[in-house]
Order: sequence, then C-alpha cells, then structure tokens
Amino acid sequence: MPQLQHEARALLEQGKVDYILGFEPGTLKFSTTPLITKNKEDCARLVVNPFIANNLSVYLPKLKGRLGIVVKGCDSRSVVSLIQDNKVARDRVVIIGVPCAGIIDLDKIEQLVSRERDEIDDIVRQGDRVAITLGNGKKEFPLVSVLADNCLACETPIPKECDILLDPTDTLVTDPSAGQQRIQEVESKSVEERWAFWEKQFERCIRCYACRSVCPVCFCERCFAEETEPQWVSPAPHWQDNMSFQIIRSLHVAGRCTDCGNCERACPVNIPLRSLSKKMVDLVDELFDYKAGTDKSALPLMASYEADEAEGVFR
Amino acid sequence: MFKKIGHSEIAKLLSEWSKESTVLVPTRADGVTTWAKWDGRDVSFLDWYRNTVVPPKSFLLPMLEEMFRFQKGKDGYSLELPPSDGRKQVIFGIRPCDARALAIIDLVFREGYEDLYYVNRRNNTTLVGLACTSPYDSCFCTSLGSGPGDARGVDLMLTTAGDQLLIEEVTDKGKELTAGASGLGKAAEADLISAREAVELASRKVTRQVDLKDTDKALLANFEKAEFWEDIAAKCVSCGICTFLCPTCYCFDINDEMDRQGGARVKSWDSCQFALYTRMPMENPRVEKWRRVRQKVSHKFLFYPLSYETTGCVGCGRCIRRCPVNWDITQVLNSLTAKVA
Repeated sequence: MPQLQHEARALLEQGKVDYILGFEPGTLKFSTTPLITKNKEDCARLVVNPFIANNLSVYLPKLKGRLGIVVKGCDSRSVVSLIQDNKVARDRVVIIGVPCAGIIDLDKIEQLVSRERDEIDDIVRQGDRVAITLGNGKKEFPLVSVLADNCLACETPIPKECDILLDPTDTLVTDPSAGQQRIQEVESKSVEERWAFWEKQFERCIRCYACRSVCPVCFCERCFAEETEPQWVSPAPHWQDNMSFQIIRSLHVAGRCTDCGNCERACPVNIPLRSLSKKMVDLVDELFDYKAGTDKSALPLMASYEADEAEGVFR
Repeated sequence: MFKKIGHSEIAKLLSEWSKESTVLVPTRADGVTTWAKWDGRDVSFLDWYRNTVVPPKSFLLPMLEEMFRFQKGKDGYSLELPPSDGRKQVIFGIRPCDARALAIIDLVFREGYEDLYYVNRRNNTTLVGLACTSPYDSCFCTSLGSGPGDARGVDLMLTTAGDQLLIEEVTDKGKELTAGASGLGKAAEADLISAREAVELASRKVTRQVDLKDTDKALLANFEKAEFWEDIAAKCVSCGICTFLCPTCYCFDINDEMDRQGGARVKSWDSCQFALYTRMPMENPRVEKWRRVRQKVSHKFLFYPLSYETTGCVGCGRCIRRCPVNWDITQVLNSLTAKVA
C-alpha cells in the first residue's frame, strides 16, 4: 500500500484524527479532487501526483474535530498562516507533508500541443521532462515548460511544518526567472499602459469570487465586498469595482499569501491574478523581510508593527 | 426546409447579416473562448470552436444592466428608461445545449412573467445553431434528451456535411435570415445523410451519462437530511462559477448606484451559492453550505420538473469543466439514485 494511504488510514484507525483531507483522482482527465473523509476505507483512493493543485487548507477553519491534512510546501505555509491567525489550533491538525515536485499547468500543456485537456491521451512526468501522448504520437517537452509559474518560483517545495513527511517521488525543477516572467512583463509597462492592461483584464471579471473561495487566507466570515454600510465596492461587476475588489483583497492577504497559485488557477476567465498576488508576496518580503507561513510563533505581519519598519510606505 | 453552404461562403453570409444585425461569433481573447461582434473577416472559429466559457445567455440577461436612471428634482424623482436598443442580434454558432437553455429561461422570463428587458432582447435575437463535432468529456446532453445535433431551440441549424454546412430552417425567424441570402444551395439527399452521420459520430463522443429516472424521488426523499447533503457539499467552496457559467441560471441582484442627486438602478448576476444571496434582516434560511448546494441541485432536478416538466439542466458540462474543486454534478446525480436503489 502506498505510503500516504497507509499513514492516513493509520491516523483514522488510531483515532488520531476525525477527518482526512487529501486528494483523489478527479472525474476529468488529469484532474484530482479534494477527498474529505472519516472513512478509513476511502484512504485507498488517496493520490499524490503532479495534478494535486488545490490548497486543502482552505477547508480547515470550517471543519470541526481533529484533521489530518495532505499539504504541499505552499499549502503547509498556509496552514501555518492559519495557525498564526488563530483560525486553526496546531494540535488540531496532523500535517502530512508531500515533498512537492511541482504542479503541471494544464493551460501551458494545452498551448504547447494546441489541444484541450480532454483531447490529450496521456501526460507522464519523467524526471525533468514530460511526455504528452496525442493519439499515436508522443511529444516530449522540458518539465520547466509545463510547470505552474508559482512552482517555478517556489523556494519551499518541502513542507517544513509537518508531522509526517512522505518520501519524495521526484525533485522539483525550478526556474525562478521563468516563474517571474509574467509579473515582470506587467512591471515593465508604463503606469498608463499598466492601468490599461488591468482595465482590460478586469473588464471580463464575472465576480464569481472563485479567487476568494479557493484562497485559504480569505477566511473572513464576512468579506468587505459584501458590506453595505459603507459599501466599499459595488456588487455589480463594473470593471472599476472588480479591480478595487482585487486590489483590496491583495492587501488583505498580504503577509498571508504563500503563492499557491490557486486564485489564478480558479479564475474561469483567465485574469492573471498571480501577477498581483506574487508581486505582493515580493513586496512583503522586500519591505518587511517577511515570508508568510514560515514561523508559527510569529505575529501575523499586519498584526504587528515596529517603529522603524518600512517607513517609506506609510506617509 | 434544408439548404447548404460552402465554408468559403460563410464570410459573405455573415457580412450580409451584419448589415441589419449585430452578428456575434465565437472568438478567443486572452486564452478565453468568448463571444464577440464579428470582425467582418475571420471565420476560423469553424475549425476550432467547441463552446464558450461564458454562455450566450449573457446577451439576453446581461451580467450588468442599467434598468433605469433616476434624478432628484423639485417635485420628487424623475425616472428615465435606458434608450431602447432595437438592434437585432444574431448569435452565430450557438450550441444546441445553450439554445435549449434559452428556451428554459423563456419559461421563467417570458411565459410565466414577462420581463420586458429580456423579452425585447429575445425578440430581437436570432439563434443560428452549430451542431457539435467534438463535445467535451464533461458534456452529458444525451442523458437529457438532447444531443449534438438537437435543433429544438434554434432558428437555423447548421450541421457539418462533408466540406459544406447543411442549413435547416427551423423557424420563420430563421427563414428570414436565409431568404435572399447569397451562396446558399439546395441540399441533396446525400447532404442530409452526411450531416446525420456527423451528428451520430458526435453523439457517440458524449460518453458522460446520468440516469435521471428516479432523481426527483431521491431528492424529495432526502430533502431534509442534513448529513446526506453535508456529505455531498463537503468539498464545495461556495464560489459562483457553476451558477454564473450555467446557461439556465438566471438569478440576479438589484442595486441602486447613486449620489445625492440621483443615479441608476442596476441589475447584475447573483448566485444561490453565495451565503449573502438569501440573507434577510431577521434570518438567512441558507446559512449553511449544504442548504445552498441542495438548492442548486433541487432547483434543476426537482423544482423545474415539478413546475415545468423539464430539468433546469441541459448537460453543457460547464459547471464540471470549470469547477475549481471538481465538484461534478453527474457524479452527484448518479450517487443520488444509487443511494435510493
């Protein structure tokens, strides 16, 4: 029995947890889906593969009891961030760490082979390459060309805060400059060009709030976007309000966001949200020398203040 | 009744229609397949288009719409309706599922109650259907009494027949578009056979199936069972993707956007998956996620059949394709009936 299935089953059997949160194969090709279960037999369905994209810590604040959760490096930092914010107690979670070898970005694969994901027969990772099967033909690409941008830029693939660390299956191949490329493209624009760029992006926002829903650190009981007195943003999807919503959200998750990439991945209309969120991660690091979710005993960034820090920011 | 047209003649046809109508066609922008006003040239979508991310309901029930403006004067408020947009629109390439979905929205916005904003647009809209040749693995229209070549719901139906497109004139509105149009030929028996074969081939590619025989009974029998629904709803993250991208979901919010002098009353999409949707001063009947998920499933597969003798789902598969956690309605429906049996 694979290690994860064995460990998860044991946790349930020994009564160490009430629920296991992991991944099982999804109902679409190359997909996985969250498995939230009390049933030890279900553990046989748990998988670890290059498609376990979701950040399962999003479920932690709302679930009761003791929780065994499967995390990648970025997800484990989200768990720590939730602990820092008192959203979940450390002794309520058993963290099962996956030494992450990177998530495959299916949008990139679709572009490379000019086929949609359901038309592709197979995607196999082989070391630092990936083999894609289309009918009778097989194409090989360097792994870095198909890994998600946030994975290419990842500095913490191996979960540090964890109770059980699974054996590694593969090593993460990173390319920090490639992972940063789209953000730099936006940065290199003039202020006017950048404004026009974001206006165009936010014109197609449908305000489904999937970016917020999949975000583990968007844990507010009531989001500012739903306040009516005062009304910070209109509930109607004017591009200006869509943009305001996202700018305010970026500020709210500053110091909490671990660049798991799920906001951008969830967006049904391809708004490059990571170009905002990763930029914020970089700013937080630069201004406050702070990396979210790396120290569970640290005060949350926005809950602490030192007189001499980032003086240039607040005027 | 049946005509045909060569691929090379399509641009000319769309040009002719563009004189009197806004012709909307599938296009790709920023990696998203969407609808846009035809640019007067490009018909390459005929080669790659499968379906759009946002369904064409957005041209009948816009995501954001001004209902009227109001202005404060000496004697109270004056109202001003938006200028009536009488221009006709042709949605070229609408898929059978999305056209059927509009017929389902009609039941609510045109037949039970007449929503003038919707009805006016609907009357000004002609639907030119394009039969599917490559359905997604998430499509399940054939389980809902439809299929890739279903012409119910469109005004004209185009089906691939070899290197031509067979045109079926389904309604009088459709005939108005073909009347006098250039480039159309008479369809021969062989074209009809070729088109039927193409549709049959596409139907075979729709492999996802649901059995809806006892779904309504199962929903009714389990309606009050919190644990049953908590289990089904467990991984849902309560975003609005499945409802906003659903071609039959029509729920909306109304807000007044104003300053001291006046403003506008705007209508925008809303979703039963949001906790705020049913929030009222005293209570919220759907605070818990499972109640909202139950509402979505029940509305489409219990309340619609009871009220209108149809499901509120057409099997387009968007909610499956785009769900960020792969919450799959077909899996849920099949598990419901399995649990009852």
